[in-house]
Amino acid sequence: MFKSKELNRILSVVLQYASLSAFGLFTMFPLLWALSFGLSSDGSYAYLFPDSFLPHVTDEAGGYGIGATLVWFERVFVEIPFSTYFKNSVIITTLAVVGTVVISVLAAYPLSRMRFFGRNFIFVAIIATLMLPQETALVPNYITIVKLGDFANWLQLMLTGSDAETWKKLIGMNSYLGVVLPGVAGAFGIFLMKQAFEAVPQDLIDAARVDGATEMQILWRVMLPVTTPSIAALAIFTLVNQWNEYIWSSIVMRAKDMQPLAVGVFNDLTGPLSGSQNTLMAAIVLTVIPVLVFFAFTQRYFISGMDGAVK
Amino acid sequence: MKNSNFMAYFFLAPALILMGVFVFWPVGFNTYLAFNHYEIAGGAVEWNNFENFKRIWEEDLFHQAVKNSLFFLLVVPAIQLGSLLIAKLVNNKMPGMTFFRAVYYIPVITAISIAGIVWQFVFKYDGMLNSFLTEIVHFLHIYPKEQLVDIDWLGDPDIAMYSIMIFTLWKGLGYYMVLYLAGLQAIPAEVEEAAILDGANAWDRFWKITIPMVKPTILLCTMLSTIGALKVFLEVLVLTDGKAETYTALYYVYDQAFRNYDFGVAAAAGLVVTFFCMILAAIQFRFFGEK
Repeated sequence: MFKSKELNRILSVVLQYASLSAFGLFTMFPLLWALSFGLSSDGSYAYLFPDSFLPHVTDEAGGYGIGATLVWFERVFVEIPFSTYFKNSVIITTLAVVGTVVISVLAAYPLSRMRFFGRNFIFVAIIATLMLPQETALVPNYITIVKLGDFANWLQLMLTGSDAETWKKLIGMNSYLGVVLPGVAGAFGIFLMKQAFEAVPQDLIDAARVDGATEMQILWRVMLPVTTPSIAALAIFTLVNQWNEYIWSSIVMRAKDMQPLAVGVFNDLTGPLSGSQNTLMAAIVLTVIPVLVFFAFTQRYFISGMDGAVK
Repeated sequence: MKNSNFMAYFFLAPALILMGVFVFWPVGFNTYLAFNHYEIAGGAVEWNNFENFKRIWEEDLFHQAVKNSLFFLLVVPAIQLGSLLIAKLVNNKMPGMTFFRAVYYIPVITAISIAGIVWQFVFKYDGMLNSFLTEIVHFLHIYPKEQLVDIDWLGDPDIAMYSIMIFTLWKGLGYYMVLYLAGLQAIPAEVEEAAILDGANAWDRFWKITIPMVKPTILLCTMLSTIGALKVFLEVLVLTDGKAETYTALYYVYDQAFRNYDFGVAAAAGLVVTFFCMILAAIQFRFFGEK
């Protein structure tokens, strides 16, 4: 016979796990459903609850039962240029991560550890941009990117005499740099790295200065090694955000062969030319899985980076 | 000293140049555009005073957009209370919490465009949600067996904004959960233990200890999600694309700019939104400045 206190405790634990699981189902169900939809041989059960959460296929006897097929996942690569989108996503994300980390680290170092004219003003100006709605910069930045492309072309004509539109492809519309550049210098990264650098003991820096190290050497040999966790958090954060970014990429990347996954898959699957719903769900699963796998390995840094940005 | 000035600006240069071009310049240029007519072909600009503002003021669509954006603020209390309760649950020292936190974070790391497609299929007329509700209705014997739940989640103007809010909750609860988790973990364990010894029940402890102790986080998150709610538009774009009277202020800006190519009107509307966000941000700074 349980004492009533013991019974209460057990009840409370059961109740807590029940709520945790219920909310877990709420966050997971769209992906689970997409997965099961993509693995089914057709859409017969796709909208029947709860059958739709288990994949169904036709078996040898002609009956319809639980099972899985990869045929729609193969169709994804036939019906839409999935590999091209994937390649674009990888290139864009890599450029964004490297650019953001380098620029944030360089900018955060003087803001945290050097005295110079205008330091407070610059820092406040950078932090103030956090409250600007970035969406209103879409129009001016669009015009800037178009003009940068035109300028690159003009420069090419002046320097090489060739009017082939080659340099335009480097920085104007439909260019990797055009997608990445507006985002790589941001208050978030600079602020995160500034916080990390400020926590480094002054003694370390002084010792390096006594040894005759230049500022660049101090940054590279002293500051960076001890702030690796923050750099990792920033890199991971930038990676996931850039991988999922939609609006700016869809404005700059008009050419289909330059679009990243989040744009290309969305346009192909919601447009008039979209194929079967099974292929659509398979494509969604294929798009989300790289981020999920990455997140599974870096969860600890990701969430602590989030905390750190707020404190 | 002069040398140190030079080095500092040398390090800062890449960030300052890029932010100058892509963050600071747009603020000025957007303000300038708001008072001009911009010709997309050739980029000819013509000063037209308050013509753009007059136009958005007279347009019903903009009124609807502003109304919807303000209506969307309803999502703020729901998302805050929800994420705080979830943070409280996963903050317990029980096995499996790392797993649950990760699961709750999945919507946050899913691309909004991709998640939007799945949710369209969840919400559509003969979609997953109606099928699920039908099963529940049958189970509870509310309706006779043959009657199905047929709610047009994204097509009915009275319902569509609520559907977008459900999507926002799904996408955002995990994000705020992590922020609240950080706040909860800063509460010393002794405080809670002392309250338990004094015989306070869970309900009292939540209102008298948890809420007051995480108040700074609540303020921060509430301001973040208020500004976020005013800025909502990608959710609209991927779910209804503005149909069923779901225009929001920034959706209107996007629509004017990249569908109508009327940059002047878009800039004017954008300026109005920026103005409101700045007021909110100023309030936010006041809150935190006083501490």
